[in-house]
Amino acid sequence: MPPSQPKLFARNVAAVRRFADPSNLLSITAGNPVSTRLESGIGNCFPGLECDLRNLERRFFPFLEMDPIDNFIFLASVDTDGVAHAEAAGDLSQADASVYAGLADDLKAGRSVLVSRIAGTFGVLGPLSLNLGLPALGQAPAIDGDLTIPSTGPGRKPPDAWTAIRLLNEGTDVTLVFVNDDGSKTSTLTAKRARYLDDNGALSAAFLPGELSQSLCSPWTHDFRDCGCFYWASNHPDIAQPLLSPGTPAGQPWNAPVPWERRDRTVRATPPAKATEAPSEPIELRHYEINNRWQELHFVVGGREITAPFSPTAVQGAPFRDLTELLANLNYAAGVELAVAQEYLAAAFSLKPDSDPSLQANPDLPGDVKAARAELMRIAIGEMRHTRVVNDVIRGLSDAGKFEPALRVASQVPHQNPGPFRPVMARAATRQAIDDFIQIEAQSTGVDGLYNNILATLQFPPADVKNRVTDEWIQAIRSVIAEGEDHFETFLNIQEWLSSHSESDYLRALAPPRPPAGNPGDATLQAAYASVLNNLYTGYKKGRFLGADEINAARASMLGSDGVVAKAEAVARQNFLVTFTTPADPRFTPIDPPGVLVA
Amino acid sequence: MLAVSVVPGSPQAPNYRRFRSGAGEHLLVVPHTRIFDLSHALAASLDVDVQAADRFAAALGETSELEADLAAVVTPAPQSLSLNVSSSCNLSCGYCYADRGAFGGAQAATMQTVVAEQAVERLLAVADPARPITIGFLGGEPLRNRDLVHAIVHFAGGRAQQQKLDVRFSITTNGTLIADSDIKLFRDHRFAVTISIDGDAVAHDAQRPLRNGSGSFARLAKRAAPLLADPGRAQVAARMTVRCDRFDLEPRLNAIWSLGFPEAGVAPLRVAADGSELRDDAWPIYRDALIAVASRELERAMRGLPIRLTNFAVALRQIHAGASSPYPCGAGGGYFSVAADGDWYACHRAIGDKRYRLGSSAALDESGRRSFLEARHVHAKADCRICWARYLCAGGCHQETGARSVASCNFIRDWLDFCLASYCELSSTRPDHFAHRLKPKA
Repeated sequence: MPPSQPKLFARNVAAVRRFADPSNLLSITAGNPVSTRLESGIGNCFPGLECDLRNLERRFFPFLEMDPIDNFIFLASVDTDGVAHAEAAGDLSQADASVYAGLADDLKAGRSVLVSRIAGTFGVLGPLSLNLGLPALGQAPAIDGDLTIPSTGPGRKPPDAWTAIRLLNEGTDVTLVFVNDDGSKTSTLTAKRARYLDDNGALSAAFLPGELSQSLCSPWTHDFRDCGCFYWASNHPDIAQPLLSPGTPAGQPWNAPVPWERRDRTVRATPPAKATEAPSEPIELRHYEINNRWQELHFVVGGREITAPFSPTAVQGAPFRDLTELLANLNYAAGVELAVAQEYLAAAFSLKPDSDPSLQANPDLPGDVKAARAELMRIAIGEMRHTRVVNDVIRGLSDAGKFEPALRVASQVPHQNPGPFRPVMARAATRQAIDDFIQIEAQSTGVDGLYNNILATLQFPPADVKNRVTDEWIQAIRSVIAEGEDHFETFLNIQEWLSSHSESDYLRALAPPRPPAGNPGDATLQAAYASVLNNLYTGYKKGRFLGADEINAARASMLGSDGVVAKAEAVARQNFLVTFTTPADPRFTPIDPPGVLVA
Repeated sequence: MLAVSVVPGSPQAPNYRRFRSGAGEHLLVVPHTRIFDLSHALAASLDVDVQAADRFAAALGETSELEADLAAVVTPAPQSLSLNVSSSCNLSCGYCYADRGAFGGAQAATMQTVVAEQAVERLLAVADPARPITIGFLGGEPLRNRDLVHAIVHFAGGRAQQQKLDVRFSITTNGTLIADSDIKLFRDHRFAVTISIDGDAVAHDAQRPLRNGSGSFARLAKRAAPLLADPGRAQVAARMTVRCDRFDLEPRLNAIWSLGFPEAGVAPLRVAADGSELRDDAWPIYRDALIAVASRELERAMRGLPIRLTNFAVALRQIHAGASSPYPCGAGGGYFSVAADGDWYACHRAIGDKRYRLGSSAALDESGRRSFLEARHVHAKADCRICWARYLCAGGCHQETGARSVASCNFIRDWLDFCLASYCELSSTRPDHFAHRLKPKA
């Protein structure tokens, strides 16, 4: 989306020609790229890659530069010109000006000056008056001060001097008590906590060029070894799927992440040892070693190390013939979303609960099961969101007043081998089930193949679709496809997490039976499900905004102690499979794949 | 084109002109006439620090690969020629620069067809065949040598067909001698017909009398009417000369438009044989009158109607395209004017002036051309080289250099300020006004 208020807009042909294609007269001339802005920098306090934000706090008090170290604050310099200017302008009292002058004199004479006490409003901690640490001064012993680690519980104090300053609210009064290094003189100043940015969001003129970057990591290759991926977020994974041995297809056991900075760079017929939480020595390159061998680190694309040039493969769908065929496929797509959501939920609830003591048999098992369940639930929710998106698109393409919500669960879902469809099968999260889920979400073959055809139809619309397509529908389908790719990769991860355990280790039962007719727990689940469908139908039918009440009600009914999720869990606790029975209602009659005769 | 030398610009030359319009805050980047809209914040910051603003504008004004270096002196192939075909006129306008075609005796004889043919042959031989070629007829009153005009049109038309050239014609006439055969000629060929008419009958007759002292308006109106009613392939426009004694532009232009002229341009006298040129105190009056008429045309354009004031229409078109040149006209570059004796001059107003004589149909004086162009490059003009309007005005007509004054230059700058703001407003409200004028570069 173009910025609504461009700073510079090329108006005439000559101006446009300077920057762009002259035929594109009304294009917006962008300013500096967003990556050049301070807020886009990889800046943090540890000490930062492009800037070290701790340097901001060195100027928290007007006209002073400070050095916060642990629980001490040393005075580094006094801006005497600034003081003189402010005094002349009447912005600073003569008394304060003489305090500043005294501090400057101390520094000039080679005496250290420290802050012994700081009072002000410390953000969430509120107004405080804090004694800071002091070394032994003259006859007085060293003082620890009020700053404490850990900083927890009621009456907590900031853990260190920098954090204390960081917490100070901009524009509130701060009072500092200074003491010089022989303890012979104290002085006090009160001023507003300085602003770090000006009205335009640019760095305050108080900072000198280079000041924010004066304490950066160096040398970077050395730090590359020392700091983890939480730090080098964009270009340094701790772990990655290993480079494939020549001729080896991706798949187990090559999907398990290995240490990216491993010392042994040999590519063998078997993958390198999986990453563990064990100490990185001697598995990884040593600190100084990496200064010489960083070129051997592999590029990582899509989570996998590669050495050959990366060539992306674009999947291109084939447009449908006309509006009727497009709508039929959209209705089916909505049904597939509902069907797979139900399969994923059945799988999620088939996993042992976290409280199951048998999970403790293997130290990795509780985490792997918990992650698999969480991701299955996340993906199931994603499919429900897709159902909504598809309904919005169908509404947009339908004649006014003719829209019928697509809430018919698919009878069959796309499948590759054997293909092109398989019946919907609620079942436990067995290895076979996860394999099938991977096929469902696989790009170009599974449900994404269907969406790629839908997208192609919107992009290259047949005559009766042309006037109905909007960019919004195209973007909506694009986002469904993009999320499908995420689902695909997540299922690969789930496969990987569960692969080192046997099915019976993590499943409540390998083939749990459906609840028997009349099971009270299941009956309440099915009633809640029917209510969700009804609410969705009414909400979709009313359309955006008007239907919000029903859609919110459907969403709310999923959650809480009386929600669908809790009811499903109750069924699973009885070791039954969690399934959803389609109500006998023509609005929800299962839908077959378009153009396919179903026996 | 061959770059032969460079006239460096002044380091003191401003790189920008800040202006605002009803559409907001703007920046004219002087080199290459680039116009940018500014956010209010950026405009305010540029106004505070003029040196920073100038550096900013210099960066925006860097010459791109598609543009010519503004400091270069180039001698392009001659592309248009005017033939001074008549040394006499049936009118006796007091302000005439040409002494009714006699140029103070420098052009006593009437041009012979063979002279004109030689000139045309030469032009067709040296012009860039991929671009349009224009042959113009001037005088005196060119239609007093009607046979030559017709002969040359047919001669050049035939050559154009043979050589697959795009040859067009132009004529500047007082309109009183237009015959039916002339109208047919204009209609059948791509003629730009400029008729000199100074307003309604009263103004016109006062300024443009026949030799016997009586008015010429009625005759002009009668002769021009059939052409205006059906111009065929011709483009007909009026040219109105403004003397120092009357600035009632609007009623005079209305009178011209009411005759059916789709466009009329105005030209104030800077140098006049009878002393009727505008003096310093007249320029603000003229400016106000011109801007008043143009404002009315701008309102029309905002409603989707065409602009009928040629000066304004051309200015907007050129600002849109970013017209930017170190020369005010093509004199000695792409344009030459041929005297009755066959000599080639840089300009039709300088017939007989040795300083402007740059060769003949036999050969062009290339080194003379170069020195002529070097001396007249806007960077070589002490007062012009540090003016923000230098690539839009370029110092004005070479013949009128001596008449340049602060007041007359202020008129140019004020007029350009008005046109710049008008351009921004019109292109904001009606971008379609300019859409069809965007033609791909050859």
